[in-house]
Amino acid sequence: MGTLKDAFSFGDLPASERIGFVLFIIFCLIFPWFWGGFAQTVMIKFLLFCLYGLGWNLIGGYGGQVALGQAKNVGMSAYTVALLMVWWDIPFWVSTPLGVIVATVESFILGYFLFRLRGHYFAIATIAVSLVWQQLFINWDLIGGARGVELPLKKTPNFLYMLFDSPIYYHYFAFLLVMGAIFYMNWFRKSKLGYQLRAITSSEDVAESLGINIHWVKVKAYCITGVFAGMGGAFYTVNYNYIDPFSVMHLELSIMIALMTMIGGAGSMWGPIIGAMILIPLDCYLGAWLGGSGIIGVDFMIYSMMVMVIAAYEPKGIWGIIEKARRRR
Amino acid sequence: MALLEVIDLTKDFGGVAANDHISLEIQKGEIIGLIGPNGAGKTTLFNCIVGYHRPDRGTVRFKGKDITGLKPFQTNREGIGRTFQVLSISGDLTVLENVMIGSFCRTSDRPTARQEAFEILDLLELEKDAEAHLTELPVGTQKRVGLAMALATNPELLMLDEVASGLNPKETEEMVTLLQEIYEAKGLTLFLTEHVMEVVMPISKRIIVLDGGQKIAEGRPHEIANNERVIRAYLGEKYVRGRKDRGSI
Amino acid sequence: MEMLLPAIISGLLMGMLFALVALGLAIIFGVMNIVNFAHGEFLMAGMYTAFLTATFLSVEPLLTLPVAAMVGLFLGIASYYLLVRHLLKGPMIAQLLGTFGLMIFLRYLAMFIFGPDYKTLEHGLLIGKSIKWGPVVLSYSRLGTAVVSVIAFGIIYWLINHTRLGKALQATALDVEAAGYMGIDTEKMRGLAWGLGGATVGIAGALLTNFYYVFPTIGLLFCMIAFATVALGGFGSIKGAFIAGLIMGLIIDLGGTYVGPQHKFALIYLTYFLVVVFRPQGLFGW
Repeated sequence: MGTLKDAFSFGDLPASERIGFVLFIIFCLIFPWFWGGFAQTVMIKFLLFCLYGLGWNLIGGYGGQVALGQAKNVGMSAYTVALLMVWWDIPFWVSTPLGVIVATVESFILGYFLFRLRGHYFAIATIAVSLVWQQLFINWDLIGGARGVELPLKKTPNFLYMLFDSPIYYHYFAFLLVMGAIFYMNWFRKSKLGYQLRAITSSEDVAESLGINIHWVKVKAYCITGVFAGMGGAFYTVNYNYIDPFSVMHLELSIMIALMTMIGGAGSMWGPIIGAMILIPLDCYLGAWLGGSGIIGVDFMIYSMMVMVIAAYEPKGIWGIIEKARRRR
Repeated sequence: MALLEVIDLTKDFGGVAANDHISLEIQKGEIIGLIGPNGAGKTTLFNCIVGYHRPDRGTVRFKGKDITGLKPFQTNREGIGRTFQVLSISGDLTVLENVMIGSFCRTSDRPTARQEAFEILDLLELEKDAEAHLTELPVGTQKRVGLAMALATNPELLMLDEVASGLNPKETEEMVTLLQEIYEAKGLTLFLTEHVMEVVMPISKRIIVLDGGQKIAEGRPHEIANNERVIRAYLGEKYVRGRKDRGSI
Repeated sequence: MEMLLPAIISGLLMGMLFALVALGLAIIFGVMNIVNFAHGEFLMAGMYTAFLTATFLSVEPLLTLPVAAMVGLFLGIASYYLLVRHLLKGPMIAQLLGTFGLMIFLRYLAMFIFGPDYKTLEHGLLIGKSIKWGPVVLSYSRLGTAVVSVIAFGIIYWLINHTRLGKALQATALDVEAAGYMGIDTEKMRGLAWGLGGATVGIAGALLTNFYYVFPTIGLLFCMIAFATVALGGFGSIKGAFIAGLIMGLIIDLGGTYVGPQHKFALIYLTYFLVVVFRPQGLFGW
């Protein structure tokens, strides 16, 4: 009972934040009534990245471990869902938990070894792992290799396989996932694991002297992040109906998730959402504007400049700036 | 059975014996002081007991159990708490939250942890600072928070690493009183390493002196104050000779 | 068996280049304990500099070395004064993010300016020619690269160990506060370390252009190699960087020959893991 209360009560946050949260919910709920088409696509992508970001915030924000390979979790789950559907006609609601389990188990094993590393070593290692997995998937003919996997057509709307014609269904589904993620994070930051994780980020030596098994806590956090990424991957699969190693396991995805959360404010409740709010529309509209002209690279140049500025002047991101402004009043 | 036994502990650092065959015993309920000039090996000994370093030779036993080489989180769960000289914790968490982390060591339930943390804060007269961030507080208060955090893990043996460093005379007095209070309230055994004699001399039952990695003296405070080897270690040969000439040794 | 000798020789030759690449990273880490994620991008910049200079000014590629070195020097110093200096004040996370951001920025800047195509040099002293030595065929470019790498390595080694400037650098690496008290301008030293790191890897890039493709994303690959090499040699050890470079070259070439060329990259990553997980201090590190 206490768990539910923790998840749903935002009482410890200032009124302004609670109001902002309610406005956010209302906005998401009424969105499909007013906008469609490209804006709808952007909105769904925004919600998906909120999910990714909230998950990454766990290990990267509260945990202070910059993991740059979440794409592998997205991809592994996406492939599990896609393949199980294509090969054995397994419904979404069965294949998704399996996909998430695959991603989590891999995270667990990887985390066990990788968390012996500190800081930079760890970050580079996560990039390397993700790249290796992507290479593997590209060369693995059994699962389609570079050709990818295309989902079979089914009669829509189909709640068993989560396949729909209209994006409105996906919008609300994504919204529900994000809500779930927010409530989970609300519970997490008040939980024992949440406190211990933050203690580790604060000072590992002190945390250890207080009886915290640092290695184990980091591994657990990393696995939970993997769950979020896995959920996102499953969603992506049924939303886009086609996956390949270049669209679900690419380095740019990992980078985007990390950069976005850092810019928004890693280690804060709302940081990932703010980051997504800024970067995803920017990414989509910039891409649409430049896509035709053949100019590439500008998007990441802009994001990386933002990150450098944030890293140099306000490592706590935009949320950090907001909090500082609030404290001054 | 002694609460803590250190048997023949040796720790080398790059060819230098930071701890050289050190043995000591601490009984339950004692207050033991560890002193010695800078570089004597006090912090190393501390770290070897707590598990931050692994001794090269020797054994550490706690409540009869061999804890040599166990990691700090494990020794903490066995019942050894420690404070840090410099609390390098970031300003993100409030004082209460920091202490709760210690409480979470003993329970998984947040309300319980919160309750216990409040009790500790009460004991150390920190209730009014519960919602403050560490970086906003003066050094004296920070030290008390460090104490609170260690206490929250419910240790039987509390190891204090230069808990009086950086305190002004008034704060030092308050610290001595505080240590007495928590010693009695929680039935602790205290092991302090200290430079500030005004703290360690009045409250310790026994003092152990290290110099150059070795244990050079052990005894009651007033014995140690007059011990020739100790004086030599701190003040040098000249002062020993001076006192001998005047007949005070 | 007949594959073994050429692979070993080729591996050692490439290894010398890797040693040079790793050297820059080792210097930066040694002097201020920050890891330059953008190291590979500095190499990439050196490559493009060499390529463009050689192609548009019709200059012999070898002569582009000083130009690439200058560009690398400039990039390194600019990175320090514009970004890294501020990062050092913050927590480690910020430092990591910051140099990571720099890496992404340079990578996509290159993509923006040059496009994603692979480019190669067509003409040059070293290009396309080789000599036969017993059962082994050695390409001029790899030979030349190895020779220049060793020379460059030697020069920098001499610079660091036998000049006043080098001693000042070492002092800053060992204890920045104490070095400051001795009258050493530690800010300049740090900037210099970055400049030196950039120049070193710029030269390596120019050499690499003689026989490797030039493309914007090559940075990440060599960043990995550099990391793996420095991790193997031990962060902060110059001697270690050299030996580890040779070992790395051997691993990649022998691995490529016996396991298959598409697995070369996996081998790099694998080596990196094994080293950092089982022997984090490397062979010679502190």
